[in-house]
Amino acid sequence: MSFGLPLRLVRTASFGLALLYATLLAVSAVILGFIVYWTVQASIDRQMGARIDAEIEILKGELRSGGSAELTREIETRINYFGALEYFLSDADGKRLAGNLSHLPTTDGWSDIAIADPPQGKDPKYFRVKTVHLDNGYRLVVGDDLASKEDIRRAFLGALGWALLAFLVLTLTAGALLSSAFLRRVDVIGRTAEAIINGDLGSRVPLRGTNDNFDRLSATLNRMLDQIQLLMESLSQVSNDIAHALRTPLGRLRQKLEVARVTSGASSKCAKTIDAALDETDNILDTFSALLRIAQIESGTRTAGFRELDVSKLFETVAEAFSAVAEDDGKTLTAAIAPSVKFWGDGDLLSEMLANLLDNAIRHTPQGTHIEVSLVNHCSQLVASVADDGPGVPPAERERIFSRFYRAKGSISTAGTGLGLSLVAAVADLHGMKFSATDNMPGLRMTLTLERGAINTRRPRPRAWRAIDYELAHEAREIV
Amino acid sequence: MRVLIIEDDAETAAYVVDGLRKSGHVADQASDGRDGLMTAAGGDYDVIVVDRMLPGVDGLAIVKMIRSVGIKSAVLFLTARGGIDDRVEGLEAGGDDYLTKPFAFSELLARLNALARRPALAPIETVLRVADLEMDLIAHRVKRNGTDIDLQPREFRLLEYLMRNAGRVVTRTMLLEKVWEFHFDPKTKIVETHISRLRAKVGSGGQQQLIHTIRGVGYVIRSPS
Repeated sequence: MSFGLPLRLVRTASFGLALLYATLLAVSAVILGFIVYWTVQASIDRQMGARIDAEIEILKGELRSGGSAELTREIETRINYFGALEYFLSDADGKRLAGNLSHLPTTDGWSDIAIADPPQGKDPKYFRVKTVHLDNGYRLVVGDDLASKEDIRRAFLGALGWALLAFLVLTLTAGALLSSAFLRRVDVIGRTAEAIINGDLGSRVPLRGTNDNFDRLSATLNRMLDQIQLLMESLSQVSNDIAHALRTPLGRLRQKLEVARVTSGASSKCAKTIDAALDETDNILDTFSALLRIAQIESGTRTAGFRELDVSKLFETVAEAFSAVAEDDGKTLTAAIAPSVKFWGDGDLLSEMLANLLDNAIRHTPQGTHIEVSLVNHCSQLVASVADDGPGVPPAERERIFSRFYRAKGSISTAGTGLGLSLVAAVADLHGMKFSATDNMPGLRMTLTLERGAINTRRPRPRAWRAIDYELAHEAREIV
Repeated sequence: MRVLIIEDDAETAAYVVDGLRKSGHVADQASDGRDGLMTAAGGDYDVIVVDRMLPGVDGLAIVKMIRSVGIKSAVLFLTARGGIDDRVEGLEAGGDDYLTKPFAFSELLARLNALARRPALAPIETVLRVADLEMDLIAHRVKRNGTDIDLQPREFRLLEYLMRNAGRVVTRTMLLEKVWEFHFDPKTKIVETHISRLRAKVGSGGQQQLIHTIRGVGYVIRSPS
């Protein structure tokens, strides 16, 4: 959480959205800024031009009324005004008569000129000037310092820059805050989903009561979860009903066959047929209960039998029980089991799982095969495997052996429901283990892997009867 | 043996009651929880057989009621479910054994016998004897006619369970549960294999065989007489 958070924040949709809005707004602010800037600049230019034009007209008037002497005097006077313009007056030969500009522009009409400022040794000064020819052959230049325009430009761009910076900081902060709020709520939904995956079907997304988008989404999710829970419960109800509805008549069939078997007597001709019928009935019942058990295990909610187990002892017991069977069958079974490995799980199911794997290995290999069961306790994972050096399973079929009712070619004649490995897969999944089949070169290797982090993630939930417990005990005392 | 069956399915109940009476036991039937509870309180039953799925109520609740009013009879659950949590739940509720429906009558009878003959206050036995076979539970030694028999730990437990139930038939599933603690049916001949090994060790050297196979039911150890 600590290190990953900034990265996770940046990756959220809300942060991305905030960033997108910030960019769009910044671009439009810059465009707006430049439009205003250009308008202001143009207006300054216009004002400057109008003022220079007006000044030229006044000075032309002076020349008409007072002659060139009056013009010269008027210019010298105007130079000293506060905020005065710049002037240059020359005769027809180009000799300076009045003014403070250091030299004449080369062209007539409007031009921008740069004049060095030697005393200060600084950058040159820029002026906008207008050069006109007067009636007597004189040339008059009137100009204005462009520094004021430059000042306005600088101030404007500076203000725009600071505004953009403040704007970016604010939007990014707001985006980060929004996103972390967003992440918190997404995490809550994620945790709820995780709890449900782990079998806690009753888990729901908590609501804030603010009726915002998230609350409405969460409420919808919760309604969906209610519906799913209802469906799952009715599914298990249906399974139980089927179990009851079909197993009961099958049970009666079995009872009747048994009664027939007893009354017919051991020597009668019917006895063999009845025994065969009993076996068939038992096979149907076996397949049926295996299917129901797998369905129950796969529903992932059956964790009431979970306890802290010594899985090494459990494996040793199963391996020992099967090694004698393997030996009688002309095969060898050895065990390499790490001692005292503790594990949180259902002991009955884990025994059955290993028994199915060993039964499979013994059943489907030829005489002389060596089978090894091992339990290895690495620091990061627990690995259990059953390996044989028999003929193995071709790669194309290896995935299919986990599917229900799968029978390997040529094994149709051997007994079994074809559900053994489906049950192994279901039990492995219930315990958070990965189940895989690989080439043992030669032979088949079935491996169960549990990542250490996954241990103890599933906890048993209170059993249903505890709720009805006390009430009924009380009622019982009244009846008796 | 006095047995009470609390079972709503009339046919199954009749089948069990009939079978028990033919085997010379006293058997009563109740078809719902209330009836069952009153009958259980009135009669002094050795074993009460309770169906988990009774109309409107879980058999677990009935057993909790039975235990809460101080009835000490042994309880055997009948369950028709897929049965993953059922065994644990049943034992926690105060049951002593369980059996999944449908079942062979011989299996039920063997289990009822084992439950009924269990004395309330068993004197602590240290030596078990069947004919000339002797098991010393403290020294963890087995002798036949004075000669030591070397047994693997699991074979010792197997023989111990047979000897504790000497003269009574124990079924394959009872042995799987009590000796190996396997509460499932391994399709492999585990019990058969270990019994035949045990038999070879106990009956070696031409001595009379004590462990007998009862076809289709299970095994029994008994004196030759």
